[in-house]
Amino acid sequence: MRITKRSREQRSRPNQGRHPAVRLLGAAVLLIAGSGGRADENDAALQLRAETVAITVCGTCHGKTGTNTQPKFPVLAAQNANYLVAQLKAFHAQTRGDPDAIAYMWGMAAELDEPSMTALAEYYSAQKLRARTAVNSSVISTGKDIYEHGIASAGVPACSICHGPDAHGLKDFPRLAGQHAQYILKQLASFQSNMRNVAIMHGVAQHLRVPEMDAVAAYLEAQP
Amino acid sequence: MWATTHGEGCRNLIVTGILSVALLAAVSPARAVPSFARQTGMACEVCHTVFPELTHFGRVFKANGYVLSNLKQVRDVSPAKEELLELSQFPPLSIMVQISDTQMKTGVPDLSSAGAPGVAQNGTAGFPQQLSLFYAGKIAPHLGGMIQLTYANDGGTIGIDNTDLRFADEILLPNNGTLTYGLSLNNNPTVQDLWNSTPAWGFPYASSNANVSPLAGTAINGAFAQNVAGLSAYLYWNESLYAEVGGYRSAQQGITNQLTGGAGPLDGTASNVISGLAPYWRLAYEHDWGRNTLEAGVYGFNVKVFPGSASGTPRALSGPINRFNDVAEDVQYQFIGDEHLFTLGGTHIHESMTLDSSFATGVSANPSNTLSTTELQATYYYRRKLGGTVQYFSTTGSTDTLLYPATTPGQPGVITSANGSPDTRGWIAEVNYLPWLNVKVSLQYTWYSKFNGGGSNYDGVGRNAADNDTLYLLLWFAY
Repeated sequence: MRITKRSREQRSRPNQGRHPAVRLLGAAVLLIAGSGGRADENDAALQLRAETVAITVCGTCHGKTGTNTQPKFPVLAAQNANYLVAQLKAFHAQTRGDPDAIAYMWGMAAELDEPSMTALAEYYSAQKLRARTAVNSSVISTGKDIYEHGIASAGVPACSICHGPDAHGLKDFPRLAGQHAQYILKQLASFQSNMRNVAIMHGVAQHLRVPEMDAVAAYLEAQP
Repeated sequence: MWATTHGEGCRNLIVTGILSVALLAAVSPARAVPSFARQTGMACEVCHTVFPELTHFGRVFKANGYVLSNLKQVRDVSPAKEELLELSQFPPLSIMVQISDTQMKTGVPDLSSAGAPGVAQNGTAGFPQQLSLFYAGKIAPHLGGMIQLTYANDGGTIGIDNTDLRFADEILLPNNGTLTYGLSLNNNPTVQDLWNSTPAWGFPYASSNANVSPLAGTAINGAFAQNVAGLSAYLYWNESLYAEVGGYRSAQQGITNQLTGGAGPLDGTASNVISGLAPYWRLAYEHDWGRNTLEAGVYGFNVKVFPGSASGTPRALSGPINRFNDVAEDVQYQFIGDEHLFTLGGTHIHESMTLDSSFATGVSANPSNTLSTTELQATYYYRRKLGGTVQYFSTTGSTDTLLYPATTPGQPGVITSANGSPDTRGWIAEVNYLPWLNVKVSLQYTWYSKFNGGGSNYDGVGRNAADNDTLYLLLWFAY
């Protein structure tokens, strides 16, 4: 299976001009994973198939355009493509070990090849994040402070250093803005316990107390 | 595991000639199937809260024909890029075992010694109660199935169990909407359904086959299970609105034509033969938000039956028929947290019987009857490890002294009704422990406050409803 990156214009308008009134899914549509790479498939066909799989398979948990209401599953819309590819590779290699990754994504990514991962990641990164209702509270103010400045006394660095001042992510670091607070809390717990083995986040999370995690997660969920 | 619960028992015995006891030979509903987990690479918890109750993802997986696969495929394509073959490298096979022990509050009479009957041994070990082999998974790109072959200890035989073959595909709609459409070829009305609030997959998911079951049950509640062939078409819009219509024909197992010795055509020596096509319909809507899902729906089954030899005497498959029209409502709420899981659900089935044949032949006292069943249950699990369910069940209906007959003088009763009423009411409480997601240990108790129309002396020869209370211990695993 081959793929080249779609143009920026295409990515920003993933469905434009290609959605007929209805699209009948072809024979292999459901199984981007199960069928692996296809030597006879061009880039456009791969991207189209990835979008279809994202909507019809991944969408059951993550939402059809990467925005969902189930806090168990992360919001993927507008996520960094690099980060998504890295996670899919980690699922595929079974190196990401938090419980939901094992139960759900190890299987889902088992037969994904790299072009398919890239195509899926590009689909999600091009989706718009659905805006949440703005909330203002002292908890969010505390979370904002921790996110922007860290907790010097506890040796917790500012999250914004890696995740960006607007929490939209930087390079390979994920976007956190708009993510479910419950999902962020669960990931922080997984970093703490090293079930999700990421050294830098283990270093950060082990110094965070639960109220501080709650505050940061609430702040991030509320960000556009 | 047939004729086991209050519901299943009822369904087998719409007594004496209306729906034949031959159906007792049928076996149990299918359950969760690990071959699906192998095929998808995903753990049981993705599709089940605790098996066999489905999650939203499990419902979508089923509606899409059981074909989602993350295994390497053996493929073939035509020059026109048409998919000709997709075979998983491993066949989707599973095995399921149920081992049980049943204790009734009061044993039943021992019929082996006429004149001075003793009491049968109270305490029945089922080892196994049931053992099943499944083919459950993908067959072709848009074709999948769940086919169950079961050995059950009550019959001591191996037979076809629940079967659901599905073709399904999906259409993308504008604004990223989806429409799944499909066909189900199955052998039990509601076995194709997506929610656990309809009979085939409803609570109790397992129950004793060594207890006493009430007389009455509705037609849609398993009375025709494994003895029909049904084809239905369904639409599933945006994973929320579900609509299905279909029809069922008799496809009886173990029946031969008396003239030719072949597997058919059915004649008057067969029991409860469906006349024409029995329509089945279903409409349901599910709303999902956060960790919650709420479903409400309606479904129905309208079947016309020639009794044939159901009353013991062969009768030609012509002339008057019995008609059962079932209309039902169901509801299911699920909260699926990481630690705490709740499910509330229930169904109410109303059956109208027009018994032209049974009335004419003296099998029923009334030309028409009604029967209603209600089941309401609440389930809780902690981390999918420890939990349980409490269910209230009730059957009410019109009195019919022939359909629900009294004890013949000198006979032991137990499965009779002194007043001709089908009314039965009670509770089931069940505690489950799952050391692993595919292994369940259950302790279940069933209380009857009313049985076949009465609380005390319901059979007219001294047996009380509470005498049929049942303690049931079960080890249940699938691999």
